Amino acid sequence: MSTLEYLFQGFGTALIWYNLIFAFVGVLIGTAVGVLPGIGPMSGVALLIPVTASITGGLPPEQAATSAIILLAGVYYGAMYGGSTTSILLNTPGESSSVVTTLDGYQMAKKGRAGSALSIAAIGSFVAGIVTIVALIVLAKPLSNVALKFGPAEYFSLMLLGLGAVSGLAGKSVTKALIMTVCGLLLGTIGIDNVSGIARFTFDVPWLYQGIEFLTIAVGLFALGEVFKTILEKEEEDMEIARINNLLPSKEEFKESAGPIARGSILGFFVGILPGAGATLASFFSYILEKKISKNPSKFGTGAIAGVAAPESANNAASGGAMIPLLTLGIPGSGTTAILMGALMMYNVQPGPLLFEDHPQVAWGLIASMFIGNIMLLILNLPLVKVFAKIIQTPKKYLLPMIIAISIFGVYAVQVSTNDLLLLLACGILGYFFSKHDYPIAPLVLGLVLGPMIENNLRRALTISNGEYSVFVTRPISLAFLLITVLWLVVPFLMKKRGKEVVINIEG
Amino acid sequence: MTIKFDRIAAVAFLVVGVLFMVASKQLSSTSYGSVVGPDIFPFILGIILVLLSIRLFFESLTSSPGEGKKESIQYKPFLIILAATLVYILTLEIVGYVITTFLFLCICFQTMERSKWVTSLIISAAFSGVVYVLFVEVLKGTLPGWPIWF
Repeated sequence: MSTLEYLFQGFGTALIWYNLIFAFVGVLIGTAVGVLPGIGPMSGVALLIPVTASITGGLPPEQAATSAIILLAGVYYGAMYGGSTTSILLNTPGESSSVVTTLDGYQMAKKGRAGSALSIAAIGSFVAGIVTIVALIVLAKPLSNVALKFGPAEYFSLMLLGLGAVSGLAGKSVTKALIMTVCGLLLGTIGIDNVSGIARFTFDVPWLYQGIEFLTIAVGLFALGEVFKTILEKEEEDMEIARINNLLPSKEEFKESAGPIARGSILGFFVGILPGAGATLASFFSYILEKKISKNPSKFGTGAIAGVAAPESANNAASGGAMIPLLTLGIPGSGTTAILMGALMMYNVQPGPLLFEDHPQVAWGLIASMFIGNIMLLILNLPLVKVFAKIIQTPKKYLLPMIIAISIFGVYAVQVSTNDLLLLLACGILGYFFSKHDYPIAPLVLGLVLGPMIENNLRRALTISNGEYSVFVTRPISLAFLLITVLWLVVPFLMKKRGKEVVINIEG
Repeated sequence: MTIKFDRIAAVAFLVVGVLFMVASKQLSSTSYGSVVGPDIFPFILGIILVLLSIRLFFESLTSSPGEGKKESIQYKPFLIILAATLVYILTLEIVGYVITTFLFLCICFQTMERSKWVTSLIISAAFSGVVYVLFVEVLKGTLPGWPIWF
């Protein structure tokens, strides 16, 4: 079947009434998550995995996986839309990828142009969303065909590259990021070994035989960790929300932002594909790019509409671009996509080159639903932006305890074990301390998700080569991946040594 | 503060790394058949973790103390909520979801801000009731609803 036929089938899946509801709920919650400072896309998606798992429990497995991933992906790209709202109105980014938007967005709001800033952000996000979906459709098949030719050695090196890239860009200290990665990989080895059937590091505790559940760790570290952080570092803030006047941007503003939106979309998409770089970096780069090519760069920072249009398009494009390595190679390039991958694996759907062959319904249904979701988001965000701006005023008093209650409910509903709840609480406390002391959490979750796959490929490759470790460097593609991994880790280190500032990616 | 934490963390990670190395060496005798047993991957990871934690320790020695940011940290509400969460988790299976969730939310709401008792009570009751009814009655999920002695 041709790509177009698959795409039409995908739309058939995405347009089933309950999938439409799932997509709608996903983007709605995503926008709310983006608007609320304190919950980022990662904790939002992690929190919703158990909830969606229990809602989709009645459906056949493949449809359940499709519906769940439609909702969760909706949260992911919906958050990119919502993040701009608080940046513009409050000067507080709702999530890290909208930090750059505050520079010009808040200035615009101060000048009474909040309405046009918000709608340009929404339109830019929409255009970027559509551009990336088209690129995803075009690139998905060829890329997965290439990946199908990979053997275990190539896969092992590719996954190392993914881990190395995420660790190299994940925080202030590469050492800390690598430690977190290794810890995630080690956690992944606990339980029954897939290949030999031996129980490893279980200390004869039956609860540990099935391994450490990724869901518990992710919800604990991200959602609970952030809640604890907000409780501990409570800031009394009474901020004034800028008024939204006219929503429609003028013709001039449209003209001014067309270029930045187009450039932001393309740049964001390619940055998104790169493992490790994510929406935050994409928005940052696109802002710098606009400033460089602008005729009068001094306008930036004082309320230039290009300074809103470019980063907002770029961060949405990056979130779409990040889906490419996840869907075609099975390698998540960021914390949020790692969580999405964990969610798919919970439904026994293995992302990777075979996804398009084995589960076309899931893959194409998701792609089609992203198209529908982006339209929904545009409709939601343009006229209803005032409603969302109200969400900011949700008192933390009610919000935070409810997030704890939802995490506990969610983990219990899926795991039905008090031990998992205790682990959840412990992870919450650890998550707080880790993020307070600059230990990035995303690499740990990535390691936990990828760990078993890395190990399997390592052992398969070594079994084929009779224990010769040289197999990883004699096969050219594998060697190339390994070299890039080393470069990725060493180059930022050398640049830091020479006193250059290295842009890092903080996704929260 | 961070530096002290880093040193403790470095030692902790070192211990974890060594423990994984020791434990994976004990595994090897039980594997057979394949050249690469189940012990190799965790053993290598253990070595890497040990090396990294040593590096972290030296980094924490050389790095200068950062700017002393004074943050007002609210320990009291945090400890109350932490204790409440722990009690909630431990009593969940015995007392059941509806009652524990209701009490937990009430306590947390009031800890966060001592005001509006009635609103807190209504929201807590609504949350626990709605979640229970939706999950157990509509979705047929498993959740200990009521005390086991009922």
